Order: sequence, then C-alpha cells, then structure tokens
Amino acid sequence: MRRFLWPLVALALVIIYPLVFTTPFQQRLGALILLYAIAASAWNIIGGYAGQVSVGHVVFFGCGAYAAMGAYSHFGLPPLAGIPAGIAAAVLIAAVIGVPTLRLSGHYFSMATIAVAELARLIVTNVEFLGAAVGLSGPTVPRTVFDLSFISALPYYYLFLAVLLITLGITWWMANSRMGFYLRAIKDSERAARSLGAPASRVKLYAFMLSAGLTSVAGALYAMIVGFVDPESGLGILVSVKMLIMAALGGAGLLFGPLVGAAILVPLEEISNNLLGGKGAGLTFVVYGAIIVIIARFQPGGILALINRLWAKRKTPKTPDTEAAAGASNAP
Amino acid sequence: MSSILVQVIVGGLLLGAVYALFSSGLTLIWGMMNIVNFAHGDFVMLGMYVAFVVWTMLGVGPFVGAPVAALVLATLGIIVYFALIRSVMKGPMLAQILGTFGLALLLRYSVFWGFGANFLTLPGDIVGGTYDVFGIKLQASRLLAGVVALLVTLGLHVLLTRTSLGSKMLAVSEDATAAQLMGIRPDSMQAIAWAIAAGATGIAGALIATFFYIAPTVGETLGIVAFVTVSLGGFGSVPGALVAGLLIGVIESLSAYLIGAVYKDIVVYSLFLCFLWFRPQGLMGKT
Amino acid sequence: MKLKHIVGLLSAAAMSVVLAGAASAQDKTVKIGMILPLSGNAASAGVHGKAAIETAVEIINTGNPGLGNLPVTKNAGLKGLGGAKVEVVFADNQGSPAVGQNQALRLITEEKVVALAGAYQSGITLTTSAIAEKYGIPFVNGESVAANLTERGFKWFFRVTPVASDFARIYLDFLKELKASGIKTDNVAIVHENTEYGTSVASVITSVFKENGLSIALDIPYAANTTDVQSQVLQLKDKKPDVLIMVSYTSDAILYAKTMQALDYKPPMMIADNSGFSDPSFIKTAGKLTQGIFNRSSFAIGAAGTPTYLINEIYKKKSGGDDLDDTAARQMQGFFVLVDAIDRAGSTEPAKIQAALKATDLKPDQLMMGYKGVKFDDKGQNILAAGLVIQLQDGENYVPVWPKQLAKTAPALPYKGW
Repeated sequence: MRRFLWPLVALALVIIYPLVFTTPFQQRLGALILLYAIAASAWNIIGGYAGQVSVGHVVFFGCGAYAAMGAYSHFGLPPLAGIPAGIAAAVLIAAVIGVPTLRLSGHYFSMATIAVAELARLIVTNVEFLGAAVGLSGPTVPRTVFDLSFISALPYYYLFLAVLLITLGITWWMANSRMGFYLRAIKDSERAARSLGAPASRVKLYAFMLSAGLTSVAGALYAMIVGFVDPESGLGILVSVKMLIMAALGGAGLLFGPLVGAAILVPLEEISNNLLGGKGAGLTFVVYGAIIVIIARFQPGGILALINRLWAKRKTPKTPDTEAAAGASNAP
Repeated sequence: MSSILVQVIVGGLLLGAVYALFSSGLTLIWGMMNIVNFAHGDFVMLGMYVAFVVWTMLGVGPFVGAPVAALVLATLGIIVYFALIRSVMKGPMLAQILGTFGLALLLRYSVFWGFGANFLTLPGDIVGGTYDVFGIKLQASRLLAGVVALLVTLGLHVLLTRTSLGSKMLAVSEDATAAQLMGIRPDSMQAIAWAIAAGATGIAGALIATFFYIAPTVGETLGIVAFVTVSLGGFGSVPGALVAGLLIGVIESLSAYLIGAVYKDIVVYSLFLCFLWFRPQGLMGKT
Repeated sequence: MKLKHIVGLLSAAAMSVVLAGAASAQDKTVKIGMILPLSGNAASAGVHGKAAIETAVEIINTGNPGLGNLPVTKNAGLKGLGGAKVEVVFADNQGSPAVGQNQALRLITEEKVVALAGAYQSGITLTTSAIAEKYGIPFVNGESVAANLTERGFKWFFRVTPVASDFARIYLDFLKELKASGIKTDNVAIVHENTEYGTSVASVITSVFKENGLSIALDIPYAANTTDVQSQVLQLKDKKPDVLIMVSYTSDAILYAKTMQALDYKPPMMIADNSGFSDPSFIKTAGKLTQGIFNRSSFAIGAAGTPTYLINEIYKKKSGGDDLDDTAARQMQGFFVLVDAIDRAGSTEPAKIQAALKATDLKPDQLMMGYKGVKFDDKGQNILAAGLVIQLQDGENYVPVWPKQLAKTAPALPYKGW
C-alpha cells in the first residue's frame, strides 16, 4: 500500500493549496492548472496511452465550450446544463472522424486531426447560431448558484479538482483494464498487437471517444470560468498544441504526467507574462520557448519519467509507473 | 474560358509553386528522419527577415538575399540539428513536437524582440514589375519564385536519386544501423539533410518576401499550409510536394473565385481529408 | 441563495482590500492598468497603443501648457489629487480572452490599480471588463467597436470610441454628398475579413445602407490570415463596383494593395475602414500603392503648433518614428477621459471615479480627437463620438476631406492607386 502514500500526500497538498496561497490571482492560477490538467489528462488517454498523437482535440474542447455557452445564450439555461450535450457531441464527432482517421499511421493521423480542427474552426466562424466570428458569452452576473459565475476562483478550484480526480480515476481504471493492456500493445507495435488478436481498431476508437468526452468537459469548464468562447479561443489549433505539450512535458502515457506538465507550464506562462509581458518586446515567449526546448532536449520522455527514474534508482523494486515510463521512451 | 478564369488558374499555379517551394525543406526532413518540424514556418520567416536585412543594408534584392538566406539558414539548420534534434530523435514522437514547438516560439519571439512587431515589406519592384501576356498578368516576383520552386524540386530530386550523397542519405533514412555498418556516418548525413532542408527553406523565405508581408508571426500562417502540402504530397516525396502545392494553389484560387474566399480553406481541408481516406500515404508517398 | 450573500461579502472584502491599497498610494501615484495585445498577431497594434499611453502619461506627469484646453495637461500631475503622478501598469493579453482575464485580475488584486483600460480585441475587452465589473473597478475602453460590449447592463464599463453604426453613417453621408455632386456611387462592394471586427462592421454598414436605399451589390468575406487574395481582386475586377469598401487588418491590407497593383485593378473609389489601412506600417509599406484611398478617422495630426501636432511629436519619440494613427489615438483619448475623471473625482475610490465618469461632459476643444464631445449614456457609450473622412494624398499623409467644415482639401477622385 506504500505506493498510495505519495499520491495521497500530493492530493493533500493540492487540497490545501488555495488555503495557503490566498490571493485571488494565486487561486485562479491554481484553478487554471487543474483545468489544463483535466484537458491534458483527457488527451493523454489517446495521445499518451494509445500513442495516437491527436492535434485536433480542440474540436472536442470546443464542443464542450460551445455547448455550455450555447445553453446559456440560446436557452437561458445555466452553462452547466450544456455539459451533457457537449459530451454527446464530442463523442459523436470522435466516432465519425475516428473511424477514417485512426486507420492512418503516425504523422498522417496528426495531420488529419489538424485538418479536422481547422475545418471545425472555419465552419463555426460562418455559423450564425454559434455566434460566428463574434462568439458566445455566458452570464456575467449570476442568476442562481447554478450559473457557476463566481468572483473568487475558490469554488472553481474545488470543482475542477473534483473533475480532475474523476478524469484521473477513469484513466487509471482504463489503464489497468484489458483496454489499457491492448492500448499499450498497440502503441508498441500495432501489427504485433493485431496479429495476437487485439481488436486494435475498436479499442483505439473507444479510447478516442472516451478522451473526446472528457476533453469536452474541460472545454465546458473553461467556458464557465472565462464566460466566453469564440472560434480562436475555443477551436484554435494552439489549444490542442497546449494539451499536447503539457502531457508531453510532464510525461505522456503516465497517469500523473499531464498534471505535472500543467503544474509546470501554466505557472511558467503566467509568471513570465506577469514579469515580461508588459514590456511589449516578446520576451515572454523567448523565455517560455527556451525552457520548453531545454526540457525537450534533456528530458525527451517528460519530467515525470525523470522523477520516476531517479526514484527507481533509490528503491530497486519496480512500480508500474516506471514500467510505463520505460514504455513511453521506447516509442518510435 | 473567360480571360479572368485563366488568370485565376495561372495565379493559382504560381501560388501553388510557392507553396511547393517552402514545403520542399519540410518534406525532406520529414521523409528522411520521420520528424515533424513545428518550427518550419518560422524558418521561412527567418529567410524573409534575412532578405529584408540584406536589402536594407546593401540595397540589393533576392539575387543576393536568397543565397545569403540559404547560407544563414543552413548554418542554423546544422546548429538546430546538433543542439536539439539529435537528442530529441531518440525520444518519442511527442518529444519532437515539444522541442520543435518550443523552437518555433523561441525563433518567432527572438525576431519580435530584435525587429519589433511592425509589418515590413520589400519594395514592390525589387524583382521587376508585371508582365502582360495576352492579357494575363504575370508578376515577375511570383514568376521567379515559381521558377526557383521547379529548380529546387528538380535539384533535390536529382540529389536524392542520382548522387552518392543522396543514396547515402536515403540509406541512413532507411536503416541507420545498417548504413553505419557500411561506413556511412548517420550523424553527418542527417546534419547535411538539415542543412539542405533549412537552406532551401531560407531561399523560399527570401523569395516569398518579395511579394508578401514580413512579420514575426507570419510563420504560423505558412506553417500549416506547408504541413498540408507535405502530407498531401506524401512525406518525404519532393516531387509529391510540388504536385500537391500546385494542386492546392489551383483549388484555393478556383474555390475562392467561384464559391467565396472564406470557403477556400474549407474546400482544401475537406478534399485533403477525403483524399487521405482513399490514399493514406499521400500522392507520391511510399506505402 | 446563501451563496449569493457569500459572493457579495467576498466582493465587499475584495473591494476593501483594493480601497486600502489605493488610499496609501494616494499621496504619491495613481496606478492604472492597461491591457493590450503585446504579443501574437495583433502585437503591432498593441505596441503602438503602448507608446500612445506612455505619451499620455508623460504629458500628464510633466505638464504641457501648449495643449490648449485638453484637461489634466496644464500642470504636472493631477491637480485634484494634490499633484499626484499617474503610473500605468501594462499587461499583455496575448490575444487570448482567458489570459486577458488573468491579467485583469492581477492588475486589480495584486497591482491594486484604481481603474483599467484596454484591451483592443473586442472579445478580450468583453472578458476583461467582466472581471472589472465583478470587482467594481472602472473600465474605460477607447478602441473596441463590437456592439454587444455596451449591451450587457454593466455599471463600470465606459466606451469613448465611436462604434460601427457611427462609421456606417459617416460613409453613407459622405457617399450621398458625392452622389449629389454627380459622382457614381450606386454599385457598392464590401470586402471584409471574417473575424468579429470585419464581420460586425460589414453587417452594420450593410444594414445602415439598406435602410437608406443603398444596396450592397457585392459582399466578399475572407479570412484575415489568408496567404493570397488574387481571386478576390479578380472577382472585383469582374464585377466593377463604383465604390469599394475594405475592412481589413494590416497583413491582409498589405496583400490587397500589392495584389491590386500586380493585377492592375483600380476601383473608381475605394474606402478603407481604419484598422489595417491606418496602421503606420501599412502606410509605410503600401501607402504608395494606395494613393487616393479614403479612410475614416477621428484623428488628424494637424498643422505645426496645434495640440495634436505637439502630441504626435512626443509620440514619435516613443514609437520609434511612427506617426500616431487613429486606433492608438483613440486609446490615448480614452485614457485622457479616464484620468480626467480621476482628477475631477479628487479620489482614487472606484465609486467616486465611476461617478465622475458618469458626469463626464467634455467639449470638442477639450479633446484631441474630432469627437463632438464625450458624454456617456446609461449603457456607458459615448453619445458624442464622431468621425471624419480622410484621404491618403501626396505620399504618406492622410488629410481630412469631409465634412466640409473640418476638411483641409477637397476629396480627390478617381482613386489613383500607384
């Protein structure tokens, strides 16, 4: 049971964080870390565990965000009420685009998902019902509690934490089920997995749909805390890339990898913007880009893989996480 | 066919040649090393700035600017290879995306820092004016870019298929270990590939700068076009990129003219996705 | 319902923190937050806006008696606050509504600014001003034109700039007058980029023109980050409109100018809606290809010695030689309106600044812009915002050509191009 010790300590720290760091900005920063951790963890299911590098996940993110804002601006419902529709839309779209694109290997799959995401952005920009180029907004002044429009980031923080725990729980359950076993086999070698009788196409599709549904929840939560979505912020390719680099930087294919990635990148982005952004000289991204390059150069498997390796050196018995880490760096 | 429609198609072909020109470097790297270079668009952007600096300092156009850009970018390509790519290649595909995405931001905003956010251009007549051929307008700067696109494609194709350097490079890309046993050093071959690819991209940037605007963020716009061109053409196929570029240019121009400018990218992406359904390896890619 | 009270209490608590912070700073400086796109695609505009605000701060803090009746410029610092200096904290919105909000929150709660201004892109102005509204901090916008910004029932949001319907009316009246003098204006085409800016401006122009019996014969939307505009230009060449109205950002404006020259297309009359065509880098790079283009503006640099000329001289030192364009000037005017309100409030208390903003009644001679004044309605919109038509003549200068009482020369027709 000792393997549960550190996750529990980490959980306790996460729960205490906003009570220690009490300024509104710090609490919002915490909430955003959790939000991006949800999105990156959702991406991790298909991108990390199954090794299918989707650069089009923003489509599912957008489903959630638009469903939440649409519920409010078209039907006067709380944005929360849009979540089921968002999940349904995301899962459906995942099924429709997954069948043809998941057949594609490696970079072709990535390229196809980029094309799908750009297509979605271009189409939504021309759809009046979805606010076209102007976008949709949520309630600024809450009508009831269910509008989830708060001044403080504290309620968002714990809401996001709960959703993150559910996401990680689902991921953990999936990783340890037969499906997770198949996915890892497919990631190592799809041909070998198929020849051993793994239903590769079906399993990949299920993972894609699961990942899509969870990503759409992240999108809905994003729209709620920001109170606005437009084609660029809800369907721009940069949002996909963000999910991807957070998972990759933390450790793709590891349960806590995306969380570690978000916990590094979100504060890095915000703090460098706070310190350098106002100068207007572009230095924020010089620093941000340089740090990403350095991490990729010296730790291609992600930060968590490094931590796990150092940990494993201290204690020889292997934990499942380090095995997964080894799997991640073996990938082509 | 009305003369305007001919003009639309000719314009599309010239545009497509430019797409092919700045995609050839990407397809070379992609095919040889199986690496997605997310910083590719920013390499084009650097080529544009080199051409701009050459023009400001020496007052000369792309005939000097393009070779200088090729040299500068080739050097940068070698540096990037040894400093970043060599170790990133050993990691998973995600590490490549992570590394090259970070590199893209670093390059883009270093230029922002050095040159500011202002939009720049080269003088419109730096290559020459516009020719009128039977009522069809041909812009000299685009014509030059088109001709160079053909030359670069031809040059790279000959290099890869007819020279010993090319066969060595292909040997490394097929099987690095086996190549090493044959006495080929994979490291130097791959560094050379990066130098050639980045150099070609530099030339592309310098030529595009003669009719396009120059800004730190221009690589973002061009990068996605290059990705689509390369995957449509087939990763690693230089002639494929040329055909794909021309095809995309004409489709864009025609759909913008006949259906509407906002729909041209929708048409291109939809056709691209349909095409992948029937031919997942691209136009001229290997299975 | 209980949570509502908690939310209320929290906001009250937050406010008292802000007030406490502001009170201690009162004797020295007044801190104002300015949110701008200082990176990303709109960075060019953001950097110019930053230079404009820096210019205003210098004028306010050192005093410049040569600027006529422009408030808060006569003596150093703010008279109403015992000569307090103004300090601006700049923040980068990175072109993202979420980042804009984070920065608004930081400026309010950490930097303890007494008021906010910005944020250029309408979508980001929307989300950042929502934060200011929740915290009860005045937000003054000098540049965003989306109609929905003032339709949200906000109490802390004030917009100084004219909006799309104002421009549409300017174009309409201008064209009507030209028509009366015998110039053909029946066949109007609009070419506009398809983000929120271009779409909303184009649709407002279309509906205002329609109400007045002028139909738009051709409407060509396109994506601003496009790589090529040949087909659009050829479409125009084919349809031959009498009047071409362009709504573009800088990058696409440059492409249009270059492509129109390459394909040898000149409409008889071309009107550009500000933004890209006013960007100093457009004028520098493509101004020589678009001679005779009309533009709307509320700002003119004016003759040597006039207040606007003097302001531009100071601005040029901050911007590295670029002239003050209309967008940056509108931001600067918004900032002056805010600082004037703080000065009149004699306090950095948000509620008092809000009251002073509501009571704002500036006359044309108290403004650097060509507005008919500044006076806010219940929604926070300046009802006296106005503009004029300018034309790019003789090289790289826009000169006012309409309405007559503000014109320096007569409008020159037809469009010359290059």
